Amino acid sequence: MLIFRGTDWHKGLSPEEMQKVADQWMAWFRGLMDKGIATAGNPLDREGKLVSGKKGRVVADGPFAESKEAIAGYFLLKVSGVEEAVAIAKQCPGLDYGTVVEVRPLLETCPFQKEIDAGRADAQLAHAAA
Amino acid sequence: MAEIRSSAEERHEEALADLNATSREDQSFASAATKNRIDENLPAPPQNADTAASGDEIPRLAEHLFRHESGKLVSILTGIFGIERLQLAEDVVQEALVRALQTWPYYGIPKNPAAWLTQTAKNLTLDVLRREKVFREKEEQIAPVMEQWSSGLTHPEGRSADSELKDDGLRLMFVCCHPSIPQDAQAALALKTLCGFSPAEIASAFLATEAAIAKRLVRARQRIRDLHIPFEIPPDPDLTARLDGVLQTIYLLFNEGYKASTGESLVRQELCSEAIRLATLLAQHRVGNQPRTHALLALMLLNAARLAERVDNDGNLLRLKEQDRSKWDRGLIARGMFHLAESADGDTVTAYHFEAAIAACHCAAPTYEETDWPRILSIYDRLVELDDSPVIALNRAVAVAQVHGPEAGIKVAQELEKGRQLDSYHLLYAVLGEFEAQLNEFQKAVVYLRKALELTQLKSEQTLLARRLQDCEEQVR
Repeated sequence: MLIFRGTDWHKGLSPEEMQKVADQWMAWFRGLMDKGIATAGNPLDREGKLVSGKKGRVVADGPFAESKEAIAGYFLLKVSGVEEAVAIAKQCPGLDYGTVVEVRPLLETCPFQKEIDAGRADAQLAHAAA
Repeated sequence: MAEIRSSAEERHEEALADLNATSREDQSFASAATKNRIDENLPAPPQNADTAASGDEIPRLAEHLFRHESGKLVSILTGIFGIERLQLAEDVVQEALVRALQTWPYYGIPKNPAAWLTQTAKNLTLDVLRREKVFREKEEQIAPVMEQWSSGLTHPEGRSADSELKDDGLRLMFVCCHPSIPQDAQAALALKTLCGFSPAEIASAFLATEAAIAKRLVRARQRIRDLHIPFEIPPDPDLTARLDGVLQTIYLLFNEGYKASTGESLVRQELCSEAIRLATLLAQHRVGNQPRTHALLALMLLNAARLAERVDNDGNLLRLKEQDRSKWDRGLIARGMFHLAESADGDTVTAYHFEAAIAACHCAAPTYEETDWPRILSIYDRLVELDDSPVIALNRAVAVAQVHGPEAGIKVAQELEKGRQLDSYHLLYAVLGEFEAQLNEFQKAVVYLRKALELTQLKSEQTLLARRLQDCEEQVR
């Protein structure tokens, strides 16, 4: 998944520059969708709700992240690995203006599953050796 | 099989979108959200319901859409917020563009992008007004407009909104070109608010720094507030004088664009288009529909028609006799001639009339050799009476030489040299050099051309002069 961080990179851009960037984003996203590399993408509204506490009893407005860190949107990619995703992330038109792209591989299984499996394997070895 | 399914699905979703749209037909994203699904069996659906047919084409925005819409919207919103809060109007418009920038890449271009932007700007405006206490105070004035907007009945392309838009645009034009605002600030303010240029773009056009332009804008806005300049088209007694100011600013804009349109900055060429666009708006309105407006418009169109051919593929300046006339823009020439005819009305004649007529003579000549120089000279004779600019006098000298020979041209130009006003104007010496060369006085020509070369800044002009100088130097040996 590509997570786009930074929500005020457009500040100070002229209407003309904004249109140029919009054109570039459109072409980029469209291209990725057409090739089946991207399977989904959405912009995210700046603020929503924060749910926390037991049974989600606390619902507050938020998040009020620093504009630099606020999440603006995401792409969901279908690629061979992180390297390919990074290569695609480098094409992001927002980079020239301050966007930061976070590249996060999707995990097939829960992150702890590996450790559980490793632990089980060790235990079996230990059992076998004993 | 997969293709048939996906297009049926698209049609179904388009129908849904139509149902959901109704009065919000400009926001055709209703179905778009459902398209972002991971579905291995279907090919990735095109993100834009509207260009579903041309799945391979990447939709593009109309050229300068954001910039033009920005100008229009600022005018409308200034009408709502008041001219003292010009900055707020600009901020709201910027925010609307940001929204577009965030969503259009994902969901595609809406069916009617301009309407989408307008609707978004209006929604944002309603938000601002509601939040502010000002809303309660101005409620009486604003309420009817707000009602229209929220009911979604006013279609941006409808007639009432259209004339409202034009009026607001004109009002803003008259405000920007108010005589109490310094001339250089007038042009900067018009470009920023009416034409949607950024301070950086304006700076590059006027060869100033961005800081200098920003200062001019701040001062202009302050002046508007201090003097309480009203957001209105001036009443009749003031109208003619104020109209002259507006025309002058537009002329200035055009000249800036024309001067350095030799490929150094694309923005410069667009200044010419913007100037023409503003003048066209002006001419179509009851208030601006004067012969002098048409004269200015004709002048600009007839010159703009030849703009692209001033430069060859290598960026070298081409003189009038070297230009390929078949490439001159026939459409612009036709429009120019139309407005020239429109300007031939009433008793008052302006410098714009004469300049337009001269441009028309050039445009009408099929070849350089067939140019009606005697007619051009007679127009210059009248123009110099109206305008004592030495540059115009120099241009007249060229016409004199064409009609009466280079010696006569030299006489006129040397008079100008004596006047000292054109001491640092490279074209004076370029012209003198040219005349001397025509008389085979190459020694004298070389002296003049060297002086001209020293004085010019533009690369393209330097190349042209250097070439000419070289030709003359070879003749001397």
